[in-house]
This record gives sequence, structure tokens and C-alpha cells, in this order.
Amino acid sequence: MNNIISNLIRFIILLIVQIAICQHICLFGYMTPALFLLALFLLPLELPLSLQYLIGFVTGFVVDSFAHTLGVSMFSCTLMMFFRPYVAHFLNGSNNNKFENIDRPVPGVKDFRWIFLYTLILTSIYQISAVMLGTMSFRNFGHTLLVILGNTFFTVFVILCVEYIFHPRLKNEI
Amino acid sequence: MNNLIEFFKKAFHIIVLAVLLILSIVMLGTSLSFNEHRLARGVQSIVGPIQKSGAGMIHRFRLGPENEELVKQNVELMRERENMFIEKEDTTLTEMSQPDSLHRERIRLYDYTYAHVIFRTVDRAFNYMIVDKGAKDGICRDMAVLSPSGVAGVVTDVSSNFATVRPILHPESRISAVVTPANQNGTVIWEGDNPRVAYLEAIPQHSEINIGDSVFTNGYSNIFPKGLLIGTVKEVQVGNNASFLTIKVKLATNYTDIYTVYLVENLFKSELDTLKANFKDE
Repeated sequence: MNNIISNLIRFIILLIVQIAICQHICLFGYMTPALFLLALFLLPLELPLSLQYLIGFVTGFVVDSFAHTLGVSMFSCTLMMFFRPYVAHFLNGSNNNKFENIDRPVPGVKDFRWIFLYTLILTSIYQISAVMLGTMSFRNFGHTLLVILGNTFFTVFVILCVEYIFHPRLKNEI
Repeated sequence: MNNLIEFFKKAFHIIVLAVLLILSIVMLGTSLSFNEHRLARGVQSIVGPIQKSGAGMIHRFRLGPENEELVKQNVELMRERENMFIEKEDTTLTEMSQPDSLHRERIRLYDYTYAHVIFRTVDRAFNYMIVDKGAKDGICRDMAVLSPSGVAGVVTDVSSNFATVRPILHPESRISAVVTPANQNGTVIWEGDNPRVAYLEAIPQHSEINIGDSVFTNGYSNIFPKGLLIGTVKEVQVGNNASFLTIKVKLATNYTDIYTVYLVENLFKSELDTLKANFKDE
């Protein structure tokens, strides 16, 4: 119960920050962080898969509504949530399909390398999907690629910063 | 049958995934293909007000610089108004061309600048205001001071960075005015009671003054340009003095809420003053 509330509060705070601040940042004209992904990353891995997809879908819907890009984040978040358990398994290096309660994608439980790769891979999936759906063309593909790389780099950077700044509190919560 | 249920149990999350992905693609498609799709419009009707209030909040932080820009723009526009110029016949040009066509040139008589009130009193018998521009910014004595809504006062004293303004709310303040549509000239004075009300003097009793008539400057003094609003007639009384009316004027300027003021300089003031002084000497 406590877990649900803390996750919910994290979702609300990160979505507000995303909508109020991050969405309006446009570093060098193309780099926009997607900080709200952190809330999805920190979800417990042992949740039912369909619930995870649904959470991703709704989160994407909220972000899309405020960014006037209906469908883009919804699709990308759902897709990312689909890949999430596989990425976690891959990084754990185990074939065991069940996640233990101890198996949280949180700094302190996992080392920096794990967290970094987990964030990088999932952010890349999200950004590739989101930017491609946003542009909807292969014209000027160099620029699209630049936007994907820039967004991914910036998002990973911001997320890791936030994650490690609030690390002690996260650990206490869980 | 059991196999089918088993299959659904196993594949349930895949079905959910497929449904959600298809749903988002459909939404993407509709929002791309119809400019004002019902769904997009529905979302917009919920999100719009939130975003609007957020944008309003951010805008409030930018109001200062924006206001400053608008004041500058205003000054530029006011400088081009008709009452800023006097027209003169250009004699050399008239002689050169056909004698029946008059070549008139416009000579700038007044110039505008702006300042901000940093201190003011309204509740004393001798009120004054201080503005944040002084001699360094080209402010000099006897410049007219206007608020955005009307006449505010006259510059009486100038230091290098600040200037003192005597508002209408001062016993020594006298502004020659004309009340329209009766077109009678008089003087606006203040009698020290209400900061919203002044008196218009020297209007003959026969003139038809109605409540709500406008009182403008008439340009007789060398300070105020012609046609600036001073206030509106609030009350007309037949005074003790039999030949003149007592007229209460509701001032256009609200002195309790004054920040930006415009200052008007008469570019030929010294010339005109010399003429007036010469007249007195004779």
C-alpha cells in the first residue's frame, strides 16, 4: 500500500515537472528531456505485465495531451514498457523469468553500470519510437538521428542526475 | 476449452499490449489526418484551460519588460499626433512654385518622453510626486506630465537623476482648460479635499454645461499641448459669485494608482517665454 502511494506521488510530481518545465526545454534547438520516464523505470518489475502496459499508456496519454502530440508518447511508452522486463533480464544475466521482491531497478540495489545501461537502453527505445512517430518521414534522416541521439543523451543525463540526487530517500521508501 | 482458457491466461498481456498499441496508433492517425478531430478537441478542452493559466502565470513574469516596450511604442505614437506640431507656410518653396499653392511645413512644437513615479502623495494639502528621470535624461522644469489616462501635473524641480512633479492636487496648480462641447475656457484648480475631484473656474453662467462633458487642455499655456483630457464634469452649481459657475471635475488621472507617466517638452518654450516676458515689461 505504501509502495503504491509513493509510486503515485512520484508519477504526479514527475508528470507535473515534465509538463511545466521539461517539455518547454529545447537545448540547442533539439534536445528535450523526457524526465517522466523515470517514474516508469522505477515501477516494480514484478507488477502484472498488462498493468505495466496500461500505466505506460496512461502516462503517455497525459504527456501527449499537454504536448499536442496525441498518440506519440502513448505508443512509445507502451512499447518501452513491453521491452522493460526483457532489458532487466538481459542485464541480470539470468534466464529466470520470475522477479524477486529484492530485484528493484533502484540505485543501491543495482550498481551504477546496471542502472546506466537500463536507463540508456529503455530511453533509446522510447526516443527512437517517439521521434520517428513525431517526424513521420525519412526525409532529412540525419537530423532525425541527431534529435534521437540528443534527446536520448539529455534524458539519460537528467534521469541519472535526479535518480542519484534523490537516491537516499528512494532507498528509505522501498 | 481448457486449452483455450490457458492460452488466454498466458497471452493476456500480449493482447493488452496489442490493443494499447493499436489504440495509440489510431489516435495518432486521427490527430494527424483531421485537424480538429473530436478526440483531439475533447482533450484540448480539458488541457487548454490548464495550459492557458500556466502560460498566464509565466507571462506575468514577463509583463515588466513587455510593458516597458509598450510604453516606448506609445511614446513613438504620441510624438506623431496632430497636436505635437504647428504648421507654417514655407515661404521659399511657395515662391519657387506656383504662387497659389501653399507649401506648409510641419514644425515640431512638443516632444515626448516617459518616466516612472517612484514616490507620490495624494492625501496632503501640498502633494507631490517624484519620477525616476532627471536632468541627465533631458528632463527640465515646466515639462508637462501626463498619466496614461490624462493630465497629471508639471515638473517643478529637477536634480541630475530625479525630478519633482507638482500634480493637479496642489493649491498652486492652475491649468487652463476648455470644456466641450460648450467650448468655454476656464482654469482647473484643486481645493484640497478629494484627490479625485478638482474645480473648473471662470466659466460664465450663461454657458450650457452638462454632467459628463469633457474638460481638455486648451494649449494656451506653453506647457500642455492642446486637447489632452483633464477630466469630466461631475457636478454643476450656480455659485455664490453670480457671474460664474462652480463646476466639479472628476479627474481622469487616478493618482493613487499611477506608475508610468509621459513627460512633454515644449521645444520653443524659452522663445515663447521671452515674448511673454517682453510683453510684461512694456
